[in-house]
Amino acid sequence: MNEHKRSFVKSALAGIVIVAALAFFLLPVVWIVITSFKSQGEVFHYPPIFRPNHIDFRHYSSVLNGPGGHALKDSLIVASANTFLALLVGVPTAYSISRFGVGGKNLAFWILSIRMFPPVASAIPLFLLFQKYQLLDTHWALIIAYLTFNVPFVVWFVKGFFDDLPRDLEEAAMVDGATRWRAFTGVALRLAVPGIVTSALLAFVFSWNEFLLALFLTRSQVRTLPVALANLVGGHEIQWGEIGALTVVAIVPVVILALALQRYVVRGLTFGAVKG
Amino acid sequence: MAITRRQGTATASGTGSGGPPLSRLPRPHRSGAPLFAWLMVLPAVAVLLAVTVYPLIYSLRASFYRIELSFSPIRHWVGLQNYVDAFTHDPRFWPAMGRSFYLVGFGVLIELVLGFGLALVLNRLGRTRTLVTALLLVPVMIAPVAVAIEGVVIFNHSWGPLNYLLSQIGINGPVWLGDRSVALNSILLADVWQWTPFVTIILAAGLRTLPEEQYEAAEVDGATGWQLFRTMTLPLLQPLIIVTVLIRAMDIFKTFDTIYVMTGGGPGSATETASFYTYLQGLQFFSFGYAAAISYIQLIVITIVATFLVRRMRKGLA
Repeated sequence: MNEHKRSFVKSALAGIVIVAALAFFLLPVVWIVITSFKSQGEVFHYPPIFRPNHIDFRHYSSVLNGPGGHALKDSLIVASANTFLALLVGVPTAYSISRFGVGGKNLAFWILSIRMFPPVASAIPLFLLFQKYQLLDTHWALIIAYLTFNVPFVVWFVKGFFDDLPRDLEEAAMVDGATRWRAFTGVALRLAVPGIVTSALLAFVFSWNEFLLALFLTRSQVRTLPVALANLVGGHEIQWGEIGALTVVAIVPVVILALALQRYVVRGLTFGAVKG
Repeated sequence: MAITRRQGTATASGTGSGGPPLSRLPRPHRSGAPLFAWLMVLPAVAVLLAVTVYPLIYSLRASFYRIELSFSPIRHWVGLQNYVDAFTHDPRFWPAMGRSFYLVGFGVLIELVLGFGLALVLNRLGRTRTLVTALLLVPVMIAPVAVAIEGVVIFNHSWGPLNYLLSQIGINGPVWLGDRSVALNSILLADVWQWTPFVTIILAAGLRTLPEEQYEAAEVDGATGWQLFRTMTLPLLQPLIIVTVLIRAMDIFKTFDTIYVMTGGGPGSATETASFYTYLQGLQFFSFGYAAAISYIQLIVITIVATFLVRRMRKGLA
């Protein structure tokens, strides 16, 4: 009986801790959503208003018709093109390293170490390089620069999936007369689709969220969401409702992905060290 | 505890890590990879050389020049002078490094302690664990700039909700972002908010892989919960803890986005970290040679940490 009571108290305590933790980690996000519905007067009201008067989307439409819409488009272009290129060069590399051990461990770990590269160290040389080829302030600047972190990511993440695939099927296809290339595209690629799709979505998020390189390499023609948000916060008349709305626009796709990809995210964020 | 561990094993096999041991799978051919295999890695290697090795060489060269683009496009060879300046003349660089290390030290410590505690609780949950884990990923996945905007709105000392809530329990909240003695800790708090769940989820996954039989045997021998934690859990999880610490240390050292948006390095230079100061030198003062030199100094610091990390992962944790 006593034992029973103690375990009840323990699970009740665990419940309280979890609820408190979720409140701590989620309420700031909820607060931004609330802010996106507030009028300027409501934002500055004290005590703070927890339920705004009008739940409507006027800030969303005004910010998306202004700088936000442009930024949304730029972010979509940069993140999708970068993801596509990262997969294009990353997936074959992942396959080659997984199946043939190309370059031994050194190549694999050289690629991993690039993922840890501090962006502030590559930002200035990339700035000068892109200046030389007149790529500054273009989509291409970011599409190329973001390969520094997304190619290593795709290679390591997808390699893990190829490692888990049995090679019998590819070998069987080759016995039946398929070339190595056919065995890769027809068999291995098809089986690794879930892993490749997951890596694409995560790579997309990494591009979508990036700020420092975007700040260095673009200015007025191209402005991704994080840069547009930072500009709005640094502006003269700060429209908090619009900032809240654009922040929500920037985080909603990511939150959906986080919920959907839960078990792969940890694997992705730890370079495959934790399979989650 | 026993129940949660059993459920953990079920989840693990669902994600594929519970499959046959690696030794039973055919090994990759180490020697003599076919030409085809080399052709497949060629594009990626070319791209990575172009976007990382080229900039590295370029900035190493730039770090030996005085380049003040705000005055003139002409560069002067100065040898190691930029490095000498960073070590001896610059009154801002070493305090900035100090702030970076402050954030790394306290950030890693707090996130590890809170994250570990929360991981232990998380693994006690039954069916709701998956949902809670997914929700905990929200801060981790969103853009640091979005986190910073949350920070600006929540920390505002006159209309932000945080100081209001504190005032309700009789605490006079500080000027979170405008007080020199508080601002760096507000940046720290934003990092703790965003990354503690990351530590939690990694360690919770690690805890679920621990061998259950050993725990049962130790319990039969009369070991208490704390003894189990200290003599079994901690040593068994040590490799994972080290990897987590290194990943966090490296990432905190690179922190930039939250500082840029929340404080702009201020008030004064109270939140000016090494990476933020490099940005100022490069993009605000256009002293590219000096910025290159101090980014090299940071690169060396990060390389040291990363080398430990990669060595750890090579030891077969992956």
